[in-house]
Amino acid sequence: MEVFLGLLISGLALGAVYSMIGIGYSLIYKASGLMTFVQGDILTLGAFLGLTFNTMLRLPYWLSLILTVVVVFLIGFLIEKGIIRRLLNKDVNLIYIVLSTIALSYVIQNGAQAIWGGTYLYFPSVFSVTTVEILGVAVQPEVILCFVMALVGMICLYIFMNKTKNGTAMRAASMDRMAAEACGINVSWTTGLTWGIAAGLAAAGGMLVGPIYSVYITLGASLGKKAYAGAVIGGYGNMYGAMVGGLLLGLFETFAAGYISSEYKNLMAYILLILFLFIRPTGIFNERAIQDE
Amino acid sequence: MAPLLEVRDFHYYYGHIHSVKGINLRVEEGEMVTIIGANGAGKTTTLQTISGLTEARGIRGKILFDGKEIQGLKGHVITSRGMVQCLEGRHVFSKLTVAENLRAGAYRRKDAKGIKDDLDYVYALFPRLLERETQLAGTLSGGEQQMLAMGRALMGKPKLMLLDEPSLGIAPIVVRDIFRSLKEINQKGITILFVEQNSKIALETANRGYVMQVGEIVAEGTSKELMSDETVKKAYLGG
Repeated sequence: MEVFLGLLISGLALGAVYSMIGIGYSLIYKASGLMTFVQGDILTLGAFLGLTFNTMLRLPYWLSLILTVVVVFLIGFLIEKGIIRRLLNKDVNLIYIVLSTIALSYVIQNGAQAIWGGTYLYFPSVFSVTTVEILGVAVQPEVILCFVMALVGMICLYIFMNKTKNGTAMRAASMDRMAAEACGINVSWTTGLTWGIAAGLAAAGGMLVGPIYSVYITLGASLGKKAYAGAVIGGYGNMYGAMVGGLLLGLFETFAAGYISSEYKNLMAYILLILFLFIRPTGIFNERAIQDE
Repeated sequence: MAPLLEVRDFHYYYGHIHSVKGINLRVEEGEMVTIIGANGAGKTTTLQTISGLTEARGIRGKILFDGKEIQGLKGHVITSRGMVQCLEGRHVFSKLTVAENLRAGAYRRKDAKGIKDDLDYVYALFPRLLERETQLAGTLSGGEQQMLAMGRALMGKPKLMLLDEPSLGIAPIVVRDIFRSLKEINQKGITILFVEQNSKIALETANRGYVMQVGEIVAEGTSKELMSDETVKKAYLGG
């Protein structure tokens, strides 16, 4: 029972991070019709930036988190404006734009290596205690923080998307660009906003996993790929699908590692993805990602 | 007084295709004007270029709205200046509710009181939208979606409302209602320019009309004049 609870908690925390990254994939897919490969590396960037704020500038963890999210939001916005939008305006074949995001992913990875080095950097603990006890299981408090914050982030996003003018405009623009323009919505702005939010979510994810896994240049790359799998399992392009799919994958992977073998946990996670692609390609939320619109 | 909308020697090039070939048209404040013509005559291109929804690089000529040149401006900028287009095929936001669609139409506005009044007006004009307020727009019938598209445009508080084929794909009995509502909107003081393939109902509804044929305006006049014009009768009104 203790093993089960322990796995459940760490599975939920990992899954919540997948969800945060995965939401970004889905938002971007809906807004720009594109797959992006930078999400994971943006998480790495967020973790490094947060670490810099936290240890070098000696800012408190919370302030570092907020600063990181703001800075990376701007970076995401600029990626859309400076690269993606320019290529779209040139009427470049979409697959090349996707390729440009792969290029960008390596630019970020190697750039991070040049700035912060290629070693594992220790992220200082957020809390002074090393473990807390939940129902008799000793848990690292940062793991709880990770899950709780990810949940709070997703709830905030839900409120933003559904209850605010800009959120509704973003959803409208992702459904029908021309009609959105006709409503007076600046679609170029809402698309930039979407990339910014996706980046901000990933960066927050980086700040949350940093204290658990330490920070290194491929931290986000592997999480990003899994998060992508989670988004597909949930229903690619559906925000809620990304949330549920990410959580599911995190739990599945953690339990597989705990009860079967930690050596094959990645293999099993991707087998789950392939099974889903065969049996239910539209994902749990039945999103028609491929034939969409 | 200068007309609300004036299009001068306007051309549109879609790549190498010269799809609109030097047309002139004007809409006075308070008027209801129609552009009729067959499929492919360039009506939609004309309308979408006026409202800034096509690629700006193909435009030659001048478009003046409210006394200012607007050719080449982005669609959302033109909308916020008071020219709002209702697109062909309705283009409602299918996964937003009816109420959310209407609020999206008021995206640019900050006058909460005015927005509320206009919402009441739209619901009074189209009571069916009020009944379906919380439904997703994608679940509405074609006619209801057209009402929603018109309501959404009204929520932008237009000085000039543009409509592209409001009768397209809608049951004939509902088409009558749609055009009756259009007349009501015009009587409320909103200037209207619409494009329509159904020439008969278009001329019955509008004050004035232009006839477009392969990118050119071949006839213009009051609706009465056009309805009694022999060539127009033959080509567009079924004899």
